[in-house]
Amino acid sequence: MKYFLYQLKKSPLAVIGIAIILMWLVFAFIGPSIIPYTHTAMDSENQMVGPGMAGHLLGTDSLGRDILARIVYGSRSILTVALLTSIFSTFVGVVLGFSAGYFGGKADTFFLRAMDILMAIPPLVLSMVILGILGDSSIVSLTIIVSIAFVPATARVSRGVLLTEKSQEYVSAARIRGENHLYIMFVEILPNTMGPIIVEATARFAYSIMTVASLGFLGVGLQPPTPDWGMMVIENKPIIAQAPWTVLFPALAIASLVIAISIFSDFVSKVLIHER
Amino acid sequence: MKRLMQLFLRRLGSLIATLVIMSFIIFLLVEIMPGDVAQMILGQSATDEAVAALREARGLNDPLLERYGRWVSGVAVGDLGDSIYMQGVSINSILWRRVGHSMVLALTAFLMFVPLSILLGVLAGVKEKKPADSVISFLGLATMALPEFVSGVILISIFAVKLNWFPIVSVIPIGESLFENLNIVVLPALAITFVMFGYVSRMQRSSMISVMNSDYVRAAVLKGMPRKYVIFRHALKNALLPTITIIGMNMGWLFGGLVVVETLFGFPGMGSLLMTAIKTRDVPLIEACVLLITVIYSVSTMVTDMMYSFLNPRIRFQGGQK
Amino acid sequence: MKDNILEIDNLHVRFSTFDGLFSAVNNVSLELKYNESIGIIGESGCGKSTLSFTVMRYLASNAQVDGAIRFKGENLFDKSEKEMESYRGDRIAMVFQNPYSSLNPSLTIGFQLDEVSMHHQNLNKIQAREATIKALEMMNLGDPKGIARRYPHQVSGGIQQRICIAMALLCKPDLMILDEPTTALDVTTEAVILDSIKELKDKLNMSLMYISHDIGVINKVAEKIVVMYSGEIVESGPKQKIFENPSHPYTRALINCMPRGGVVKENTKLNTIPGYVRKRGADEGGCPFADRCEKRNETCESLYGTKEIGEGHFAACDRAYATDVPDTFIEKLAPKKRNVDTDFDSEKELLKIEDLHKIYGARRKVYAVNGINFDVKPHSVLGIVGESGCGKSTTGHMVSGLFKPSKGRILFDDVDVSIAWNKRDKETLKNIQLIFQNPGRSLNPSHTVEKIIGRAMQKLANINDVKERREKIIEILRKVDLGKEYLKKKPRQLSGGEQQRVAIARALSISPSLIVCDEPTSALDVSVQASVLNLLNDLQLDTHVAYMFISHDLNVINYLSDYIMVMYAGKIAEYGKRDEVMENTHHPYTEALLSAVPEVDPTKQKKIIELEGQLPDPAKKITGCPFAGRCHKQVGEICEKEYPPMVRLSEDHYYFCHIKP
Repeated sequence: MKYFLYQLKKSPLAVIGIAIILMWLVFAFIGPSIIPYTHTAMDSENQMVGPGMAGHLLGTDSLGRDILARIVYGSRSILTVALLTSIFSTFVGVVLGFSAGYFGGKADTFFLRAMDILMAIPPLVLSMVILGILGDSSIVSLTIIVSIAFVPATARVSRGVLLTEKSQEYVSAARIRGENHLYIMFVEILPNTMGPIIVEATARFAYSIMTVASLGFLGVGLQPPTPDWGMMVIENKPIIAQAPWTVLFPALAIASLVIAISIFSDFVSKVLIHER
Repeated sequence: MKRLMQLFLRRLGSLIATLVIMSFIIFLLVEIMPGDVAQMILGQSATDEAVAALREARGLNDPLLERYGRWVSGVAVGDLGDSIYMQGVSINSILWRRVGHSMVLALTAFLMFVPLSILLGVLAGVKEKKPADSVISFLGLATMALPEFVSGVILISIFAVKLNWFPIVSVIPIGESLFENLNIVVLPALAITFVMFGYVSRMQRSSMISVMNSDYVRAAVLKGMPRKYVIFRHALKNALLPTITIIGMNMGWLFGGLVVVETLFGFPGMGSLLMTAIKTRDVPLIEACVLLITVIYSVSTMVTDMMYSFLNPRIRFQGGQK
Repeated sequence: MKDNILEIDNLHVRFSTFDGLFSAVNNVSLELKYNESIGIIGESGCGKSTLSFTVMRYLASNAQVDGAIRFKGENLFDKSEKEMESYRGDRIAMVFQNPYSSLNPSLTIGFQLDEVSMHHQNLNKIQAREATIKALEMMNLGDPKGIARRYPHQVSGGIQQRICIAMALLCKPDLMILDEPTTALDVTTEAVILDSIKELKDKLNMSLMYISHDIGVINKVAEKIVVMYSGEIVESGPKQKIFENPSHPYTRALINCMPRGGVVKENTKLNTIPGYVRKRGADEGGCPFADRCEKRNETCESLYGTKEIGEGHFAACDRAYATDVPDTFIEKLAPKKRNVDTDFDSEKELLKIEDLHKIYGARRKVYAVNGINFDVKPHSVLGIVGESGCGKSTTGHMVSGLFKPSKGRILFDDVDVSIAWNKRDKETLKNIQLIFQNPGRSLNPSHTVEKIIGRAMQKLANINDVKERREKIIEILRKVDLGKEYLKKKPRQLSGGEQQRVAIARALSISPSLIVCDEPTSALDVSVQASVLNLLNDLQLDTHVAYMFISHDLNVINYLSDYIMVMYAGKIAEYGKRDEVMENTHHPYTEALLSAVPEVDPTKQKKIIELEGQLPDPAKKITGCPFAGRCHKQVGEICEKEYPPMVRLSEDHYYFCHIKP
């Protein structure tokens, strides 16, 4: 922890990143209670007004809906889905990757082949097709499907870190002490692989946001009236020439959040890998 | 060389196996789609008898495996079936033109981001912790973190809306080919380049750093080799190897990106076709598009794999110990 | 001044890190004459490698340097980076510890040698390749043309290092720096390389700076010795004087803590140095060794400085001034009395190995152990010695249950236990314990010492009460000289020696009857090794446990063992009671191994039996004698064709060779 703070002091970029993430979390929690508009309220007198005008801090869209309100409400759904996805896919990935790597042999070969096949469809295309076919995406279906699309990657990473630890002699020592497989995998090995796994999970968090936003953009993400950052970009694209703020602000919201998380993930990997 | 040939055959075998299993999964996936295909073709007003008759005529009541067999044997001889939404137009007649457009777009992006990101990645790696590195690293992080549609929107607002250099939408006028309208490729390709640049340059940087810190680079420096020579003759080749793998692995993102970018720009490619197919629930077209994306993606991964093996003497001459 | 090729004046090298500024090289001055060889000795962390890289002016960016390094009278710190390039590889050449990683994996060996002469001597490609071939020939490498075409991973470690030395020789440098060049190699390979280095030094009129932790190796190649401790030179002088009259307490301890010259556990207890090497802060003064020194007094801080105590002989200790007779330092500590009869003949064997085989891999087979028979008597120590790849570790791992044998039987107390760990019963798991080579890797880094030892007790000794267990752990920690403050520490907070003590405590905590020790001291510094060996010996006498002690170091094996087994290529070469094997050696390989062990006494230089060629390919099944082809006593075709018979010299001493006694 002391080392964490020491590194933080040396890296102003990481401070900014963490600050932005905290800012978004605060927005998502208390934002709706301090913003005078809701995301669906249509101010019919003020359609497509620019930022700062008529009491709309970030302007309104063609229906007169407040952009800021929509972004803040949108942050709730995207943060929820992305957080759940990164946790879920990391968890499943660790269980699968650990089991395959630990037992090796035929189980491992089967696992690798299965992951190869799953990876043969790009994750975004896979989730897009499934969501599109099923229609009517909800937070639950979005989370499950994006997680499935991410599992091959997290499982491979977990398998990789397990394999480097597995060859360590403390694992041999545990074996000839008569420990069972679960104990060796999760009590002996897991604590020593937490560094890379946390790094992977934070990176996954950033990917999830990108993927969820892209799915929203493609129209197969959360369905209206739930506000979605990606969807805001595509629905306002036709008026980009007349009202660029309607597209630019949601785009900036995505960009700031993903960049902040990526910076944070980079920083975490620097700190955790140095400590080892 | 014999080893490489063996490796190639093994990879080819697993590629074919992957595709067979994949085709089945795709088929299954579309099966679970809610709604009745026959109903969709005939429209909501059709009578139940008419729907039942069509189901019978198209063989929709046959068992799953039989229908799969029919589809796959058709695909194997190049018959992808007919589109439902476009009233029985053969998929072959629309798909391949779109695939061609997408390939032009992907290739343009590829030719932009590969040299650029390798060059800047190497530069950042060599100048580790210096200002040049900080700038390149941040640039990489920022572009990597921008989804294609965000960077695309930014590009549109600058180059299309403000400067009016390129069109906002990439449409090919009827009767013309893509090659007469190459300006529509530029912005979409740039949007893809952005994301890929982030990934590849960051990977190139870190592999360059680890190679520059390796014992053999130290040995080369202490042999009195000039710095530039050490970088180009000793470090670069080894530092490129992991980058090749990363490029291969990120082909997936590139194809995902294609769908997004084509939708944003309205570019007439395979990605936007897939999107339309999903929206119109055009079963055969979805199947054909996804299968094709899988084929292209798997082949490109295989190519990068083979390149890796070819460039790495440790694999090329494995077991040559005497 | 004119006859010095290298002068280092008051050199300081400091690194700034997270923990603050620390000093890696502190006030070092030394001189090296033309055609002279200097040996720099010290344990890990003493700054000897930093010193050599500083001479090459190759330092990390967080380094701060002060002082001067003059090469042929010119200060290297005044040179530009461009000018340094013309020194490196041309006038000053360097050879590194790890040849495999020092060669570029994606370039051919020939290319990597050619480029040196092309750069420094402006030769064209053809001339450069000729020079390359010549240099490779100089290092006695057969088929130099073929080697030049290969990639580094296609030749063995010993050849890789000879290639690196050939590369350093290309421009006939005036000074060659060798940084632990043979540490990663086997002792017989090391002997051959050291010989050719010595020969080439005179042939090419080079000066040598040879860095090693092994005083025996330094003794072979150096004329002058510099002893470093914690970044400082504590003693320097001509080799003869250092060995005859070691004056600094550290030098004395270092020489005396090695098991050497045939010392055995019954007669001698090894000298040890308490504690371990600390990192020093940049502004710490006084004697760096004071905290570990047995002769320390109040003047260590105030009167610290280097003094000349004989012609060209310097030491940094005021006790070195006194006419303190060195003999009192080379004191012989009395070993613990053995209360078990050392005659094991009457005992029934504890462990019996019958026709043990291990073949790894399915498609590409590796024949690791190829049919061996031996036994271990209760309370005895069997030392297994051999070079890397001889199957000694695999044997130990099969006995402890890490792998299942491919063929053959392991009988433990008459019970067949030739099965892997997951099939063994608790009793067997408890009775056979394993201590690993690398304590840092064999202790789980995220568990505390209490958990590490306690888990073994809970699992195998059924001590489930936490309080009772803690008391037992404290007791066992005391036995390995660790206090109870260690209970809550994690392995990362311990030094290498302390980690190995914890590993020993873990093995002993459940009172096994056999402990397999797999190179338990090879990862440790010599001063720490001595205390671990003493500990292992004492504990064995206390608990009557038997050891299967595996090591590549014949001195260590000789010190600790009752029986010695020499292995080669998965087979037993010679087996017998220690004194019989050591004094009445019969197998040619044992002879070669004995001759290759570096001698520490400078007056005794023995003739080395140089082994040509390499170990047989482990992927092939051998029908003849595995040592044929390298053997200096080969009798003829029969050696290649027929596996040699067992020749029994006595009940307890036999070997496998076609040569009869």
